Amino acid sequence: MNDIIVSKVLRHRIENIGNLPTVPETLRRLSRIIEKPNVSLTEIAGFVQSDPALTFRILKMVNSAVYGFPGRIASVSHAIMLLGLNVVKGLLLGISVFELMQKAMAGLYEHSMGCAAASRIIAQKKGLREPEEAYVAGLIHDIGKVVMALEFTKAYEAALACAEQENISIERAEKQFFADNHPVLGGVLSEKWRFPKKLTEAILYHHQPSSAELFPLETAIVHLADILTKARGLGFSGDQIVPIVDDAAFDRLQLTEQDILEVFRDLEGSIEATQEVLL
Amino acid sequence: MIKVPSDKLMPGMRLAKPIMNKAGMALLGEGTELTETWIMRIQDMELEGAVYVEGKQEMEVPLDEMLAALEKRFRTPEESHRMEIIKRAAERHIRNLYE
Repeated sequence: MNDIIVSKVLRHRIENIGNLPTVPETLRRLSRIIEKPNVSLTEIAGFVQSDPALTFRILKMVNSAVYGFPGRIASVSHAIMLLGLNVVKGLLLGISVFELMQKAMAGLYEHSMGCAAASRIIAQKKGLREPEEAYVAGLIHDIGKVVMALEFTKAYEAALACAEQENISIERAEKQFFADNHPVLGGVLSEKWRFPKKLTEAILYHHQPSSAELFPLETAIVHLADILTKARGLGFSGDQIVPIVDDAAFDRLQLTEQDILEVFRDLEGSIEATQEVLL
Repeated sequence: MIKVPSDKLMPGMRLAKPIMNKAGMALLGEGTELTETWIMRIQDMELEGAVYVEGKQEMEVPLDEMLAALEKRFRTPEESHRMEIIKRAAERHIRNLYE
């Protein structure tokens, strides 16, 4: 299968995401903007405002009940002031990959939205200062899958089938067809887009949180949020079976059964709110 | 919380979420009890999204199917005490959705 040989050089191709044929122009332009070392508020705002559909969706999202300021954010610059540059960058990315995710894998977007919401809920429970950063990490934690499925559709379909037949996790199945699996590729993209190390570690190690060196707590949050989303059966991520939670990560978060029940309950409300935002 | 199309609103229903206009401004706050006048105004407006009122949503999938799917998802190959906690919480949550 030619596709599989090609996929061995995937990492190199992802580093040049601007040249990936299946990536739409908006994402390419967004990617160019957010990977700039010192991108300014004005530049991001200018970019968003040049695209009315994007402006509409980001304002709709930040004004929804999902965030703390319903109906109060009138401009993209205002959103950046309130939510911070990295959160807005992440939301833009999330919105821009929405269609791509739908195309890449049915159910992946629902899974990502669920994981994003669960990450924020757990971050709030643990008293993190920037729960929105956890939200963004959850939203784009599987971004590697999007690129793999779009660029190497056949090989990725084979990996999905393999996961199902052999009853193994998708991230293990990916390794049989690709040189790097989705967390690694997601980490590469996160670095390329100059997201903070906190986000990169959470994406890179969401399946092996014990490898996180600098941000074990944030990484544990996305790891557990991913598992809870799968446990609740929201969307589809390629896994047929809920992956086993990492002992150390679970213990680090110190959540009781009652706490987890509350996370599920809050997740339910949050998802209804986001679904409306996306329609 | 139940999603209700604006032509099916009834007086006495209580808003579970604020009603927003196109500009994202809240017109009626959460908890507002709808009157006939309010409903007429709502029906005259171009609303952004649906109206949510308090109450329980009818679940589309029957409970036993949801629980069977849960069991299937938790066919984990190894025993894990922590996974048991997660599974119990998930099951309790799903049952709560049907009460």
